[in-house]
Amino acid sequence: MDQYKELMEHNNKLDRKQDIVPPSGQFTQVWLDNQKVDAVLGENILSVLFAVGKNAITQNDHAKVSGAYCGMGVCHCCNVQVNGKHKMKACQTLIEPGMRIDTQTNRLEEGF
Amino acid sequence: MQSSTPVIIVGAGTAGMSAAVELAQAGIYSIVLDEAPKIGGAVFRGPYREAIELPHLDSKLRKKISNIRQQYHDHQTFIELRLNTRVLGPAGQHSLLIRHKEDVSELSYEQLIIATGCHERSVPFDGWQMPGVMLLGGVQLQLKSGLVRPGQRMAVVGTGPLLPLVACQLHKAGVNVLGVYEAGKLSDFAKEGRALLNRPVLALEGMGMLSYLTANSIPMHYGQGIVSVSGDENINKAHFAKYTDDWYPIDGTGTSLELDCLAVGYGFVSRNQLSQLFQLEHDICPTSGLKPQVNVWQQSSQDNIYIAGDSVGILGGEGAMVEGRLAALSIAQNRKILTPEIVNKHAGTYFTLLHKVKRFRAGFDRIGRRREGLLSLLKPNTIVCRCENVPRSAIDDVIGQGVKDITSLKMRTRVGMGDCQGKTCNSYCQDRLGYELKSTDIGHIKPRFPLDPIPFSALFDGVQ
Repeated sequence: MDQYKELMEHNNKLDRKQDIVPPSGQFTQVWLDNQKVDAVLGENILSVLFAVGKNAITQNDHAKVSGAYCGMGVCHCCNVQVNGKHKMKACQTLIEPGMRIDTQTNRLEEGF
Repeated sequence: MQSSTPVIIVGAGTAGMSAAVELAQAGIYSIVLDEAPKIGGAVFRGPYREAIELPHLDSKLRKKISNIRQQYHDHQTFIELRLNTRVLGPAGQHSLLIRHKEDVSELSYEQLIIATGCHERSVPFDGWQMPGVMLLGGVQLQLKSGLVRPGQRMAVVGTGPLLPLVACQLHKAGVNVLGVYEAGKLSDFAKEGRALLNRPVLALEGMGMLSYLTANSIPMHYGQGIVSVSGDENINKAHFAKYTDDWYPIDGTGTSLELDCLAVGYGFVSRNQLSQLFQLEHDICPTSGLKPQVNVWQQSSQDNIYIAGDSVGILGGEGAMVEGRLAALSIAQNRKILTPEIVNKHAGTYFTLLHKVKRFRAGFDRIGRRREGLLSLLKPNTIVCRCENVPRSAIDDVIGQGVKDITSLKMRTRVGMGDCQGKTCNSYCQDRLGYELKSTDIGHIKPRFPLDPIPFSALFDGVQ
């Protein structure tokens, strides 16, 4: 049973394909849209999104989808939901162990 | 005045850190605030995570990243870093409102150095709001700090010395780089040869990059630029054309590339929202809309507020370093810690270097001066303001109805009212209205307090 669970988790894990150099340092895992992904302490959410090739990130208040644009906290186009909190900038929020990251969610759509 | 009161510095980039180091050398304490988790600013921040090797970054850049960290290390007794901290605006007399995670607090100062740097100019074109279109500096941050490739097949388009540099870095990072499109003509570069030779080493490095591109079969197209991008959810095609002297795309010269990410760089705009909120004196500036007034010591119209680096005028790293040091020297003299003789002796070489940097920069500024043709890249339904979803047609309508200033344009269309406070759409709105009215006297989108949204949770937990 445990083996089956492990296999399921493995299949449900996102691969990092876009790293320029192999990740090193202190590894942790986070949840990205309900899938597990390896992350390294020190990096921000945006580099995890790019590492797995997730480019369409935000659904804004007008239901338009955007991706990271300025990459430096100016444009608000890479907002994600972090542990339930909306409109967190992926480019300026550092990874924390077990963090739950959800893309393309919007509070206006979910209601309060 | 007590020499123990720390100078508050906003921004831990080149200007802010060089000011902090110069102050430390005079025995003056400082507190340096930065929204990022590492010092160095967008240019020299370096990797966020541990990395044993950085094969895609040249040795000079790696050395500069470690230099700035070493300098901080050597002077850290005098420098208190507060990273991941945002400045939200002034809070009464001689005080800033700042936010670190959920904590909102005030920080008082006797002297303040604003070194907030710049952000990139957005040039909207049909499809620019789709995932896959990124600003050039944003792409560079992924390479240098994120250590990830933002795409697999990419092109670089815009104007300026950063274009070939980013193309080289992308190629070394393993990205398939399909081409570089520089709007300036090759003859424009030849004309500016003399200005560019004010910094001969930089000019030579530029030549080195161009030969790297040639050696790796990456075409460099002069006098060409973006027309539009297309795709489904993400972009999958970009369309380019030759530009006229006024940067209008020429019919029948178009080419297309299949790609998943496009880096767009049409230059930089000073981040002067904070100096505006302080109601310092500003001049109208063709590059950034407004330029805070400073004297040769970088002192603003309020004598205890200094502004250094790209936030006072785009000069790049060397200029920022010099301006930060000049501001620090002036503060040390005002506090009577350094004598005018010593300050003038130190400052002399900085003034000379700053003069050369300005002449070098002016060459690129003339080549990259944006032209009216860029305004033709939007279709009526092309989005101008991403936050508030305002298309070009809405702006056409109110201009047709006689709107003559940027504030009325904002009120009528909602451009600039979203989360980014107009930092993304302002350049287009300013240029468009200026072009239609043939005037620079159209006002500007005023920054609002707080400069960045504060969540309700921070208000409940923070300010009691």
